[in-house]
Amino acid sequence: MTSGEVLLKVDDLSVEFDTPHGRVRAVDGVSWQVRAGETLAILGESGSGKSVSTQALTGILEMPPGRIVSGTAKYRGEDLIAMSVKERRKIVGDRITMVFQDSLSALNPVQSVGKQIAECFRVHRGLSRSESMKRAAEMLDQVRIPAAAKRVHDYPHEFSGGMRQRVMLAMALALDPDVLIADEPTTALDVTVQAQILELIEDLQAERDMGVVLITHDLGVVSDVADNVVVMYAGHVVERAATAEALEHPVHPYTEGLLGSMPSADLKGQELPTIPGTPPSLRSIPSGCAFRTRCPHAIEDCAVLVPPLLTVAPGRDAACIRRTSIPAKEAV
Amino acid sequence: MTGFVLRRVLAAVPIGLIVTLGVFALVFAMPGDPLRELAGDKPIPAAVLAAKRAQFHLDDPFIVQYLLSMKDILTGNFGTTFAGADIAAQLQLRIPVTLKLATMGLVIQWIAGLLFGLYAGFKRNGVVDRVLLLATLFILAVPLLVVYFAAQYVFGVELKWLPVSGIAHGYPLSYLLPAVCIGLTGFAGLARLTRTSIVETANADFVKTARAKGLGEQRILWGHVLPNALLPMVTYMGVEVGGIFAGALLAESIFNLPGLGQFMFQAIKLKEGGVVVLLSTLAFVMFIAINLLVDIVYGAIDPRVRNV
Ligand SMILES: Nc1ncnc2c1ncn2[C@@H]1O[C@H](COP(=O)(O)OP(=O)(O)O)[C@@H](O)[C@H]1O
Ligand code: SF4
Ligand SMILES: [Mg+2]
Repeated sequence: MTSGEVLLKVDDLSVEFDTPHGRVRAVDGVSWQVRAGETLAILGESGSGKSVSTQALTGILEMPPGRIVSGTAKYRGEDLIAMSVKERRKIVGDRITMVFQDSLSALNPVQSVGKQIAECFRVHRGLSRSESMKRAAEMLDQVRIPAAAKRVHDYPHEFSGGMRQRVMLAMALALDPDVLIADEPTTALDVTVQAQILELIEDLQAERDMGVVLITHDLGVVSDVADNVVVMYAGHVVERAATAEALEHPVHPYTEGLLGSMPSADLKGQELPTIPGTPPSLRSIPSGCAFRTRCPHAIEDCAVLVPPLLTVAPGRDAACIRRTSIPAKEAV
Repeated sequence: MTGFVLRRVLAAVPIGLIVTLGVFALVFAMPGDPLRELAGDKPIPAAVLAAKRAQFHLDDPFIVQYLLSMKDILTGNFGTTFAGADIAAQLQLRIPVTLKLATMGLVIQWIAGLLFGLYAGFKRNGVVDRVLLLATLFILAVPLLVVYFAAQYVFGVELKWLPVSGIAHGYPLSYLLPAVCIGLTGFAGLARLTRTSIVETANADFVKTARAKGLGEQRILWGHVLPNALLPMVTYMGVEVGGIFAGALLAESIFNLPGLGQFMFQAIKLKEGGVVVLLSTLAFVMFIAINLLVDIVYGAIDPRVRNV
């Protein structure tokens, strides 16, 4: 699954905000990549920088107050961050598209869903009004919305939450993108609808050989659909691995904590509650390892340096000074 | 839609009756005898007086007088004023004056309000934005009457750019100064609201979606931000039409334009209950019509409130 072409490669991405209380770093040295056909999950508690990092690299973050202080995000070798706004608009919205968590507020309430989908065809493909609307209806059909030809004229508030998320997907997939960035696409939905939407994303991905970046704070979602997972804590990537391995043998104490005593069969729908304490505020990130205030394995040395993300085994990276290699008993 | 309009109109009837009855009661309760005021110092023969009293039902009980006035209005028999002028003819002369003044004021207010508001909203914290804030505070702080008199003095008396008062120079010259006063006293509110509405809408999630779609800033502004920002603006503009007419009525007296406002002042002074009720009914019908129009426009731009 992870042998496809590397479509999007993020390196050392750091984002800061200017706030009335000073400068805070919401994303610090984040790196990951996604290949064609791969689903990469970005997992982390709320506030860990998942949304800010993806919105920064696609250029849709409000800047200011945000600011990218370092990093590259290469789409097929071209750096999105370095290119001009005009060039980026040809890629973001066409080759790389996004869906968001709250489909009710993320869709324009006074425009029919058909028109909103059709806009993609009109702007990026220059199709006529009627041709675009026809394509929009086809897209609604592809995301399995019943009576698509009729519903294309309906407004967002006339759809249920699940159906609305399908509309978002139809809009994001209209131009057959290479990469879909889905920011907590199922968080606002109830469990059965969640499963349907995830399944739909998987199906559509398989049809298109698309890379999917799935942002979530739900371990169940990760274990269900992700090939690889990037775990974020306080703006840092703390662990990177194939999903199965990460769930089986977590290396970083934070990932370990997330899994806690949870038997893997019980993962579905679980939030991330098992670690005592709360994530640090961006204004008071602990020195050294940001996790040390909650880490059961913390030692004095943890306060000295930010642990670098090191390769602990082939295809496995973790950022912990006490876990620089996989212990023999686990590395079976 | 037809059903919606009908329902609204029917619901307005009892309110209209109560409002006009209240206005009539106020006129009735005013001190002084109607025909005495008219006569001034000249003595009127007793017979003429009695005939007039009978003609205007002045000796009937209050409620009978009201109902008779209403009957006249509804049947289109407007009759004459105490002084003998034909009311229907008066309306024909005066309605266009008020309408011209009010629309001119409205157009000035809307154009200035929308232009400045949109610009300030698009270019937040720019020069226009800051100047607008100051202008708003200034206009809010200065009473309407002061603006009218000051404008009359500066542009009419001192600079002589425009007629001081009266209608001798015709349309549009005679209307320009009062209309500008009316427009300017209202434009700042509309501009501020437009600006706020745009700034708030620009932070909405769907604007982020629009950016993620790779749309250009202009397209996002005109296609997504503005249609949503319009919603509170339409409500405000509708309410403000009432304010514009109030301003026009006042301006007519100050700039001596023979419109409905002037007519109303005379009628109140003479305690002519019938005329006051007639004019109040007119104002009320217009108020209802404008509200209806606002609701229809609102429904047209916001699908969430359609089929009301
Ligand atoms: N405009 C902003 N100004 C200041 N801080 C911000 C701003 N936007 C986001 N942040 C901070 O950045 C951090 C990461 O946020 P986010 O990426 O949304 O988290 P999540 O992982 O839940 O998606 C949070 O601590 C948040 O408070
Ligand atoms: S570096 Fe130290 S504090 Fe951080 S996770 Fe490892 S052991 Fe815990
Ligand atoms: Mg988020």
